[in-house]
Amino acid sequence: MYNLLVLIKKYHATILFVLLELLCIIMIINSLPYQNRKMVSVSNRISGRWHRTLANWDDYLHLKSQNDILAEHNAMLMNQLENVSMTSDSLIINEMYTFVPAHVIKNTINETNNYILIDKGAADGIEPDMGVICDKGVVGKVVNVSTHFASVMSLLNSYSVVSCRFIDNQYIANVVWDHMNYQYGRVQDIPSHLIINKGDTLVTSGYSNMFPPDIMMGVIEEYDYDENEMFSKAKMKFSTNFSTLRHVYVVKNNYKAEIDSLCITH
Amino acid sequence: MYNTLIRNILRFVGLFLLQVLIINNIRLGNFIHPCVYVLYVMLLPFDTPKWSLMVNGFLIGFIVDIFNGTPGLNAAATVLMAFLRPNIIALTTRKSDIEGKTAPSVSEMGLQWFFPYMVLLLVIHNLALFMLEAFSFHLIGLVVLETLLSVIISSITIVLVIYIFKPIKNK
Repeated sequence: MYNLLVLIKKYHATILFVLLELLCIIMIINSLPYQNRKMVSVSNRISGRWHRTLANWDDYLHLKSQNDILAEHNAMLMNQLENVSMTSDSLIINEMYTFVPAHVIKNTINETNNYILIDKGAADGIEPDMGVICDKGVVGKVVNVSTHFASVMSLLNSYSVVSCRFIDNQYIANVVWDHMNYQYGRVQDIPSHLIINKGDTLVTSGYSNMFPPDIMMGVIEEYDYDENEMFSKAKMKFSTNFSTLRHVYVVKNNYKAEIDSLCITH
Repeated sequence: MYNTLIRNILRFVGLFLLQVLIINNIRLGNFIHPCVYVLYVMLLPFDTPKWSLMVNGFLIGFIVDIFNGTPGLNAAATVLMAFLRPNIIALTTRKSDIEGKTAPSVSEMGLQWFFPYMVLLLVIHNLALFMLEAFSFHLIGLVVLETLLSVIISSITIVLVIYIFKPIKNK
């Protein structure tokens, strides 16, 4: 113990230096978005391989339930295929968007800003700002890409805003996370004159070029109406279960460059 | 003793206000970001212990950071500068030079000694600052250019500040 104290006394300046610098760097990484993303990208590269191995093992344990989910999704797609020949809209969508299947190899749901790591990267044609969906609904958007991995900002993130549409009356609103529970989000900017019921369904609007239109987002759980406000809010239950996320699809918009060239906004 | 303390507190407040209210609002292109507040750490007395240098550096860096909206950035660079200050003093002086002197200021040590001392510390500070800002080794060329230009402008500004606020000799 005495020796330890002597050691601390001898090197107190160096120890204080290291502590202060650590404190500063933690503050920098936590508060500055650019440095934060850079750090996420570096840790992706290091931890991606490790997480992929772990996820491979973990996948075996869930093979059966995953098979069921995929079979269910398959059946749903078969049903949709039946209808495709009747509606010409869906055919255009199929040309406009292509989907890249990916595995979730790391996922958090308890942080303020949650990110998902997937095992497809720049080598598979993934780019930042692509949308990510799963069979149940919207998952998030790609923010960072390395050669073989990509990190996805999930809907459970304070920076995440997704444009959505009420399936009944076609009105547009925005979905953000409520920061409390991974199952619930908040719908903002709902025009006050709109009458909303519990159980109303929200889908993607397709205005962001990130997601195809009519991808399921969630169902209204609670509606707090305030007639003094221009816009009202509602609580929504995500259709995606973020805690059991395994298979996702990255959405490639084949006309993104062309559409972006028409937009003047930065 | 109290005289030194009060003078340093005034210097802290004065340099911090100068940096935040005036220097930070002068736009000299993308590559030049003059830092004047570091003068506070440079002018602390010779007998200031190392931990006190670093805590002082952290405090002034952090306050400047809060006003810049970049928590930790300036603080990290200033702590590094304060940590290396005794080494730089040892590098630029012989022991006999310091005897009888209280602080590494222009009035006591002369501009001829002070200028290289200041430039060395500024290089350390700015290099650390811009490296942390870039947060990657890919931009090292830009960082070096930024450091070079900023050090030149900072040195001129600091010398000007010293001569504008030159304290009256109490002899």
